[in-house]
Amino acid sequence: MVNAIKGLFISCDVPMAQFIASLNASLPPSQKFIIHMLDNTHMFVQAHAGEMIRNKISEFRDLNSYEKPA
Amino acid sequence: MPQVKIVPKNFMDMVAALPASKLDSLYTNTFFCEAVLRSLPPVSKMYVLRMLYIDAAVSAKLMQEWVLPDSFSKHKAAIDRLLQLRVFTESIDRKREISYRLNPKYQENLRKYLVHGGTLSREPMPSSVTVRLPTLEELDAYALQQWEVALSAPFVCLYFAGNLEKCFLLQLINSSLVERPTNFSPSMMKVFQRGLITTRDNEAPKLTENGFRFLLMETHTQLWYIMREYISTSEGRGMDTAELISFLLELSFHVTGEAYNMNTLTEVQQIAIKDLATLGLVKLQQGRKESWFIPTKLATNLSVSLSDSSSRKEGFVVVETNFRLYAYSTSKLHCEILRLFCRIEYQLPNLIVGAITKESLYTAFDNGITSEQIILFLQQHAHPRVAQKAPAVPENVTDQIRLWETDLNRVEMNLAHFYEDFPSMDIYEAACDYARELGGFLWEDSKKMRLIVRGEMHEEMKDFLRRQK
Repeated sequence: MVNAIKGLFISCDVPMAQFIASLNASLPPSQKFIIHMLDNTHMFVQAHAGEMIRNKISEFRDLNSYEKPA
Repeated sequence: MPQVKIVPKNFMDMVAALPASKLDSLYTNTFFCEAVLRSLPPVSKMYVLRMLYIDAAVSAKLMQEWVLPDSFSKHKAAIDRLLQLRVFTESIDRKREISYRLNPKYQENLRKYLVHGGTLSREPMPSSVTVRLPTLEELDAYALQQWEVALSAPFVCLYFAGNLEKCFLLQLINSSLVERPTNFSPSMMKVFQRGLITTRDNEAPKLTENGFRFLLMETHTQLWYIMREYISTSEGRGMDTAELISFLLELSFHVTGEAYNMNTLTEVQQIAIKDLATLGLVKLQQGRKESWFIPTKLATNLSVSLSDSSSRKEGFVVVETNFRLYAYSTSKLHCEILRLFCRIEYQLPNLIVGAITKESLYTAFDNGITSEQIILFLQQHAHPRVAQKAPAVPENVTDQIRLWETDLNRVEMNLAHFYEDFPSMDIYEAACDYARELGGFLWEDSKKMRLIVRGEMHEEMKDFLRRQK
C-alpha cells in the first residue's frame, strides 16, 4: 500500500538549503523537523515548521543590516 | 458577441460594463459620443467614421477585406471593442452571415456633432459679473494644491495614526493635522475607503496594498480611479450614474478658466460639483448675487486622458549611482510618497534628499509595493536633466532593487504530500502522470519510487490510487 506523509515541500537555493539543514541539526531530536532531504535544493519537512523556518531566515537576513541612527 | 474580455482598467471599460439601456440613454448626449470616439483605438475610430454615413448594415466579410491578412487580430480587437461599447450592433441574417452597423442613436448624435460642432448647454458668464477671476496659473496652482491636499489628507493622518495613543475612529480627516481643513463629504471618504484604506474597529486606519500602489500611480490614473469609485458609489447615494457620467464628460469639454453659472446645474450636478471642488477639478466662487464654478486643467484633461496616453508632468527626481535620491519638489505629497520606499535624509526649501536603502525597501515590500512599481515611478518622474540620458535611472540601482526583492523570496514552500512504497513501477508512473495532469506535481524520485504532490490534490490522489488496486 502506498504510504502518504503530510508535510511541507521546500525548494530553494543551495546556501539556503544548507542553512535549513544546519538549523535542523541544532535542534534536539524531538524537535527536528526535516522528514526527508531530497537533494541539495529540495527537502520535505513537517508542516508546522514553515513559520519557524521563515522567522529564522529573516533573522539571518537582518544580521548583516545596519541602520544608521536617525 | 464580443470575443475579447478586457479586465476593467479604465473609465471606458466601466462605461462598457453598464447595462445596455443605460448606455443607450447616454448616447443621446453628443459630448458622450465624442468622448467615446476619442477613447477608441485608431482602427476602431476609422471604422466608426467610415460607417458614419452608411445607414444599411455592412457584412463582416466585406469589412475583413479592408485589412491585410496579417492585421486580422487588430481588426478583430477593434470590432470587439466597438461591440462592447455598443457602438456597433451585430445582426445575423438568414444566411448565417454577420453584418454590423452603427448604433442609430450614436450615429445620429455624432452626425449632429460633426455638422454643428459641440455647443455647450451653458455659456460663460460675462466678465462684468465675474470679478476676481483667477488667472490660468493661479487656477493650476489651486487645482494642484487641492488635489494634493485631497490625496494626502487621509494618508498624512494615517502616518500619525501609527502612534497608538491616538485612536482614530472612522472620521479620517482630523483637521488639526492638516494645515487647511478640508470639508470632505462622507461620500468622498467612502470613496477613499473603498479599497485604499481598511479600517478595523479599535485599530488605527491602515493603507491597503492597493492604497500604496495608488500613491505611486500617475495623476491621471489616480484621477480616473477616484472618478470610477465615485461613480460606482453614486447609485447608493441616489444619484443617477448616467447623469453623473454625462455631466463629468460635458465638464471636460468646457473651457479652462471661464466661469459658468451655478444655476445652470441640476440638483444632482450641484451635489457632484461640490465634491469635485474638494478634489480640485473646479473652483467655486461667489459674487454678489450669483455663484459660479471654474473648471481647472484637471477637469478638462478628463476627456483627453480617456485612453492610456497622457501628457507628462515635469519630472523632479534624480537618482544617482550611489543610491542617493534628490527630488526637486516642494510638495508634501511627494515627500510622503518618497518616504514610502526611501529614507529621507534632509528636506530643504526646494529639495528633498533621500537614500534608497535595503531597510527602506524592505518596509516598502512589506507594504505590498513591488520593485517594478518603484522603478516605474522613478523612471516616469525623472528630472528632465537625467531623463535625456539612457537609462534615466542607473542600472545598478534598478538591478539592486530587484535583487533585494528576490532576496525576500529565496525559499519557496508548498503544502504537500509525500508518497512512497509504491507496489510496482507501473502504478508509480501512472501516479506521476496523473499528478502532472492535475497540475499538482512537485517532485519525483524514480529510483526510489517516491512522489510529492501538492496538498490540495491529496483526495484525488487517494481515489486514483484506490482505483489502481
